[in-house]
Amino acid sequence: MTTYDLPKISNRRKWTNTITAKVIGAGGIAVIAAIVLIMGYLFWVILPIFAPTTIEPLDNVSQLPDDVLAIGSDDSFEIVTLIRGNGDVEFRNASTFDIENAIEVSSASWRDVTPVFPTTDTYAARDVGDEIRFFRIVHQVRYINDERTLQQSITPLFLGSAYQLPPNATDFDVYRSDEDLRIVARLDDGSLLLVEFEDIDDEFELEFPDENTMPGPIGPYRTFFGPRSRFLYNVNQETGEFQLILVPSVLRPRVLQESSFAENGDAPTAVEPLLGRYSLLVGHRTGSVRQWSLSPSEVGTILKPIRTMTFGTPISALASEQRRKGFVAVDAQNNAHLAYTTSDRLLASIDLGAIPTQLVFSPRSDRLVTYQGTEIRTYAIENAHPEISWGSLWSKVWYEGYEEPVFSWQSSSADTDFEPKFSLTPLLFGTLKAAFYAMIFATPIAVAGAIYTANFMSPGMRAWVKPGIEIMAALPTVIIGFLAGLWLAPIVEDHLTSVLLCGIVLPIGMLLFATIWSRLPSRVHSACDGWFAAIAIPVLVFLTWVTLEFDQPLADLFFDGDAKAWMYEKLGLEYDQRNALIIGIAMGLAVIPTIFAISEDAIYGVPQHLVHGSLALGATRWQTLVRVVLLTASPGIFSAIMIGFGRAVGETMIVLMATGNTPIMDLNLFQGMRTFAANIAVEMPESEANSTHFRILFLTALVLFVITFMFNTLAEIVRNRLRTRYGNL
Amino acid sequence: MATSDSVSQDLSLQRQSLLTWWRSGDPWIWLTSTAVAASVAAVLGLIGLLAVNGLAHFWPSQVLSIEYERFGTTTTIFGELSERESIGRYQFLEANPGYDRDLPTTVERWLIKTGNRQANPPDFRWLYAHDVIESSVPTSVVVIERTEWGDAFGHLVGIKAAGEPVEPGDLWEEFQARIERTASIREGIDELQEGSINGINYELESIRLEKRRRQLDAHHEFSDLEARESALRADYAVVENQVFDLTSELERDTASLALADGRVIDIPISTIIQAWMPNSMSIWQKLGLYFKNLWNFLTEDPREANTEGGVYPALFGTVLMVLLMSALVTPFGVIAALYLREYAKQGPLVQLIRIAVNNLAGVPSIVYGVFGLGFFVYLIGGTIDDLFFPEAKPAPTFGTPGLIWASLTLALLTVPVVIVSTEEGLTRIPREVREGSLALGATKAETIFKVVLPMASPSILTGMILAVARAAGEVAPLMLVGVVKLAPTLPIDGNFPYLHLERKFMHLGFHIYDVGFQSPNVDAARPLVFATALLLVLIIIVLNLTAITLRNRLEARYRVSVN
Repeated sequence: MTTYDLPKISNRRKWTNTITAKVIGAGGIAVIAAIVLIMGYLFWVILPIFAPTTIEPLDNVSQLPDDVLAIGSDDSFEIVTLIRGNGDVEFRNASTFDIENAIEVSSASWRDVTPVFPTTDTYAARDVGDEIRFFRIVHQVRYINDERTLQQSITPLFLGSAYQLPPNATDFDVYRSDEDLRIVARLDDGSLLLVEFEDIDDEFELEFPDENTMPGPIGPYRTFFGPRSRFLYNVNQETGEFQLILVPSVLRPRVLQESSFAENGDAPTAVEPLLGRYSLLVGHRTGSVRQWSLSPSEVGTILKPIRTMTFGTPISALASEQRRKGFVAVDAQNNAHLAYTTSDRLLASIDLGAIPTQLVFSPRSDRLVTYQGTEIRTYAIENAHPEISWGSLWSKVWYEGYEEPVFSWQSSSADTDFEPKFSLTPLLFGTLKAAFYAMIFATPIAVAGAIYTANFMSPGMRAWVKPGIEIMAALPTVIIGFLAGLWLAPIVEDHLTSVLLCGIVLPIGMLLFATIWSRLPSRVHSACDGWFAAIAIPVLVFLTWVTLEFDQPLADLFFDGDAKAWMYEKLGLEYDQRNALIIGIAMGLAVIPTIFAISEDAIYGVPQHLVHGSLALGATRWQTLVRVVLLTASPGIFSAIMIGFGRAVGETMIVLMATGNTPIMDLNLFQGMRTFAANIAVEMPESEANSTHFRILFLTALVLFVITFMFNTLAEIVRNRLRTRYGNL
Repeated sequence: MATSDSVSQDLSLQRQSLLTWWRSGDPWIWLTSTAVAASVAAVLGLIGLLAVNGLAHFWPSQVLSIEYERFGTTTTIFGELSERESIGRYQFLEANPGYDRDLPTTVERWLIKTGNRQANPPDFRWLYAHDVIESSVPTSVVVIERTEWGDAFGHLVGIKAAGEPVEPGDLWEEFQARIERTASIREGIDELQEGSINGINYELESIRLEKRRRQLDAHHEFSDLEARESALRADYAVVENQVFDLTSELERDTASLALADGRVIDIPISTIIQAWMPNSMSIWQKLGLYFKNLWNFLTEDPREANTEGGVYPALFGTVLMVLLMSALVTPFGVIAALYLREYAKQGPLVQLIRIAVNNLAGVPSIVYGVFGLGFFVYLIGGTIDDLFFPEAKPAPTFGTPGLIWASLTLALLTVPVVIVSTEEGLTRIPREVREGSLALGATKAETIFKVVLPMASPSILTGMILAVARAAGEVAPLMLVGVVKLAPTLPIDGNFPYLHLERKFMHLGFHIYDVGFQSPNVDAARPLVFATALLLVLIIIVLNLTAITLRNRLEARYRVSVN
């Protein structure tokens, strides 16, 4: 090796060189890593959706008194509340079960206690003298010297006033709303006693009840209120026969349905209402749990089986979650199965060792408490996102209160007992519908424009048109959306006939104009060659204006005077002011520049000798264009359309502003839609961080990311190949 | 395709018969030209529409006195004609079922801005031209722009000071003088409000946080803070009194305005921003008022839930966010491009990365918004709060959408633009130039800093301008990471540390969405939205044209030097 005697580089320069290399290397890799991070992060957020559910016993098995009537807890499950038959309420530490506090609520012993539906903190207790009294258990978090302490207290309601049940009442249930308190009690002759107190207030005595008795069947029935106190369930726990009773007021009860949960002689073994009591879970000897929901039908609201889940061995006990539509089913072999109704999922199972007499979820569904004999056991549950499964995201789901399985996206509601509906299908449908109509509008214009600009336009005009289209690409979509929603949508609605006819009138009119133009002396042609597009603008504007101006006569001619009414009557198409037609035009405008620029590039790049060869062989300009130029450039045009489609799929503001954003599935051109992107924009700011809803929105973002990334990559590969091919031609 | 021109000329020079012309397929070529015409017409039309509607809003248009009859009652109103259109007969009948008189095919209707939202609602009404009995242009009608209830139209009939009528020589001059007086008082109040009161509140809040911080550190010595606090509260009381005094001064005068129906209403002059008599103004006076209105639009705060007043905070927010974003995106974009082009070993992996970067420009912006919210706001912002701002909890400081996160998100969104543009610039630089520099003994770093980067600087600038243009027009991601409809304070103020990166801000694009689609009175808000849209479009067009011009110059320069 030869060495050259170069002057030595000073240390400072050497260092600068090394450091620059390091900084640029690190910075470059960091930027690229950040880009990869986007996809990784989206994945990381949605992964917990698919995390498995776990349930594990905690080793704090404890002995309790044997007269526990009901078990409750505070919101964060730090204190367990035991309501005892001796009239005491005990507060125990939820991990050690040591008594923290005990309050004597009643000097008389209690026969039974029931939580007042739909509250979570109020109870109704019947004492041995058959008097029902109401009390509320209050858990408070206090900071004393910055130390967090929990305090418990009991508030007797209605100044401790009682309602006297008849001595032959076997069981009872209580409902309260802000103004009303209703009691139902079943008497030993099968009849139901209905009681209502109106205009109640916690600080006043219960007075002047409306009372009414209705006859009912005799047997081991259980009676309880349904949603909004208007419904009453009366279920025979042995045979499975049931009554659904409508109670608009206690004075006018009406039996809506008399039927049986039993099927093929298979009587139910357990019945338990789900959160909100819109549906009942019915366990069977066959090991299946069937969900019966209040559903509309021709004869009014009835209970209807909407879902069956099978667990194997006979079901002996059921309990439902306090804030979601999940439940636990215990079978005859002491196995507890955690399951979720909406997503139709069996989440996890565990051996409980015995069949518990009490089975209670903590409010946040992170603990399950069993009480059997005198023993209390706690199980830890990790089950953050049971609401969804791959199936419930993409296929039809039979939700509570629906007549049949549907695709539905309805993520939130003011009601706490609401069943969220997370079907992505309507959103995907809306996304594709919007993109489809936009592409139908944009592709012909953009590709035809690219053809003309690349092949026939004079260089002088081209120098103006290309930047013009680039500016079009840079127009903020919020402005296009605003004009589409507030300016275009009313115009289209008022001139629907003209707008529809424009699709026919404009091409024909322009062809006609071209014919006339071609008859002009050639002097004119050579002066304007390549500038025809500029001449076409005023003609186009004029034709559009004329068509719009004659809307009413045209409507009289084609649609009996009113296009909207005609379409509704003849075709059954409803009209929304902000609809897919508006989106097609507005979003079309937004994607035209993208498609135009890339196709123009591809067409312009077609090697000249091919064109010349074709023309020399006698082909006309049009023949050359269609059979040589377009054929050669077709992969480029294809990739342009794909990139345009990618842009249309992810466009947010236009869709947000120019549609009604209703997640319906209807191909109708005159109806709106809700797209993934607009859905994220609408719901993300309101979504609670790390909730199921939040993660599903991330999932939709990831879907968008993957779709567009795939389309773009494919297009990019096609274009690269095309470039190589042009080089070889 | 320069050569095809001559070809096409040759062909079109021959006169063909109509049939041959049709068979040759030439009509379809004409049709393709229509597509270009349509695109160009759409762009021009869109900008023209914005310009006409946006700029017309500031013109003091004449006020008509219209007498019309509807359902047998005759009404007289003052109002500006803000729209005139003809609708189909069926549409008319749909809105007016049971109309029994003969109708022409189309019916003309006028949208009249009648103002007086409180005294005589609604402030916009549609009139059918055939209902109008008489319309005239009364010379002395006054338009009053107010801070609340929108504009008022009427005849000025008197002025009262503290409830007592004033008898000036020239009512109009006296009126203007009193408006001026209240304006200066209002300015004084604003000054106190923005200067002293905000400053004191800011300091009180810092003291509260400092107290909490000491508590968390189990440090219970507050006497210094409490002394400071009581001093501040004393200051506050003084300023508050000044404000009270000024406010009572402000509320002294009222103006009496006779409405078109003869009623006289009293308008507190404190609520009047300006008043003019459009029907007796000369064209120069109108022009003066026009430019004043235009200036106010750019420099004033919005009023009445953003439907009136100016867009200053939104303009400020947009510019500041874009500046921050470019400060973030330029260095990183350039470094990444340098790495890809100058340092990384060229191979399939780098080619793959290049394609990926290219494609990122096509990923929907809302996806970046989702990422920004999850990663920047909740993850990074939440961590910063835990580490550095425990005293403010549970209220988040950085763990909530804000200026810095919006800038970062948009930087991420636009970094591909800068990378692609810079790389393009780097590719254009001939190898010989680099090799020449290295051969002369320069190190690689020196070559890059002194030779390559200066040569590539126009394309870096182009990339940056394109990034800025894209960022300025982007709204969807901002809705998730920091934009609000009404920010109480600007992100820059006189309180240390002056630039408040965690604050939420307003943005022109979001302003358009919010005012156009979320405001209850769309008719009143629409002109303002057009004006805002025009402003935004102008900013973006100017930026883009700069980028395009730069790029064209660059292309011209290198075409010579490379070939």
